[in-house]
Amino acid sequence: MDIEAIIKSIKKLPPFPDVATKALKILDDPDASADQLISIIQYDQAITANVLKLCNSAYYGLRRKVRSLREGLVLLGNAELKNIILASTVVKFFHKENKGYDLARGELWRHAVATGIISKIISDRVTESEPPSLFTAALLHDIGKVVLGSFVDRYFEQIIALVKEGKHSFLEAERELLGIDHAEVGAKVAESWNFPEDIVQAIRLHHRPEGASDDDPLTPIIYLANIVTLSMGIGVGRDGLSYRGKEEIMKRYGLKAKDLQEIVIDFYDEYNKVQNILGLV
Amino acid sequence: MKINIGIADVKVSDDPGVTLVTHSLGSCIGLAVYDPVAKVGGLLHYMLPESDLDPKKAKNRPLMFADTGIPILFKSCYKLGAVKGRMIVKVAGGSQVMDASGVFNIGKRNYAALRKIFWRNKVIIDAEDIGGTSNRTMWLSIATGELSLKVSGQGYKVL
Repeated sequence: MDIEAIIKSIKKLPPFPDVATKALKILDDPDASADQLISIIQYDQAITANVLKLCNSAYYGLRRKVRSLREGLVLLGNAELKNIILASTVVKFFHKENKGYDLARGELWRHAVATGIISKIISDRVTESEPPSLFTAALLHDIGKVVLGSFVDRYFEQIIALVKEGKHSFLEAERELLGIDHAEVGAKVAESWNFPEDIVQAIRLHHRPEGASDDDPLTPIIYLANIVTLSMGIGVGRDGLSYRGKEEIMKRYGLKAKDLQEIVIDFYDEYNKVQNILGLV
Repeated sequence: MKINIGIADVKVSDDPGVTLVTHSLGSCIGLAVYDPVAKVGGLLHYMLPESDLDPKKAKNRPLMFADTGIPILFKSCYKLGAVKGRMIVKVAGGSQVMDASGVFNIGKRNYAALRKIFWRNKVIIDAEDIGGTSNRTMWLSIATGELSLKVSGQGYKVL
């Protein structure tokens, strides 16, 4: 079985940058100071450069140019800066083309960013306040595909045959043939990075939201955001749209077919503003 | 030269060196039209069925919707010398996730809207590759009118 090889290759993935872990922790702490944050980030040139690039993107429409991390923090505030640092950090895991899923370079990142945007749009509609880990979980929900991409290739014909029979989703076929699916692999990656449990669970259950506990605000939103992104065909590989749409999750939030269309409209406006984030790859 | 058509976008051309291409056709629909005599072709990538969902948005971004986008595609081709009676019409996309309830079926609604408009305007579809759970990319050659598809899980084919 390949499962041991898969687990092994999770361990080979580069570690989540220590700088980013520390920075994100500081941004979550209301008592932390800007100086603390800057003292950590400034030594990582790649992250600093990406942060400044994003701060100066059309998305934020700032009138003056942001030249330093301090200015960025003052102008954008903690929550936005957190998302920017996060996107700037995780992008490096999405750089490569993914042959297993037949995703060209940049496509998995496009999918991640689109899911991030849609998760915020859905969260605005259905929750009173945005779960703090929402954007992180959305960006990383398919991180398992980065690892599993080297393995699905060999099994692809069998997976597709199983999906075509009509009883299996792509995820279920992965599990059946490889012994593990990309959601579970992603959860193990997040665990190896010492991510908080809510993010690990949201990644693990992003196709099986019915398995989440009732007080988990994150998983069902990530699930729906991913389904909408898949439906739009954004960053979709050879697995296509072969995943399960679950009416009960829509019902839980009182969402109807028309709401989905409105979410798609809102998404289109936002998506056109984030070309800089997409351009990080 | 390849010209890319984004989401909620249209391009038309009479340049035989051009291939029009659109990616990411999930529930969205790619509509390709071609006049083999004038050698004029166009490709529309729309997202949603009916503009009455958001009339204000439809005014600014008519290419988002079937009912406001499709007339723009045809009229833009007429401007380059295409004639309605000669136009070859091909359609791809309109897929959806696995869902028995129908709540996620934007793709099906997108296709139904197109059929309604074509029926009213007496337009016949010459070829189509619609529905299922595939993601599609389509290319229209202005020189030959050939329409090629990449369908996830199936590979390449000519429609």
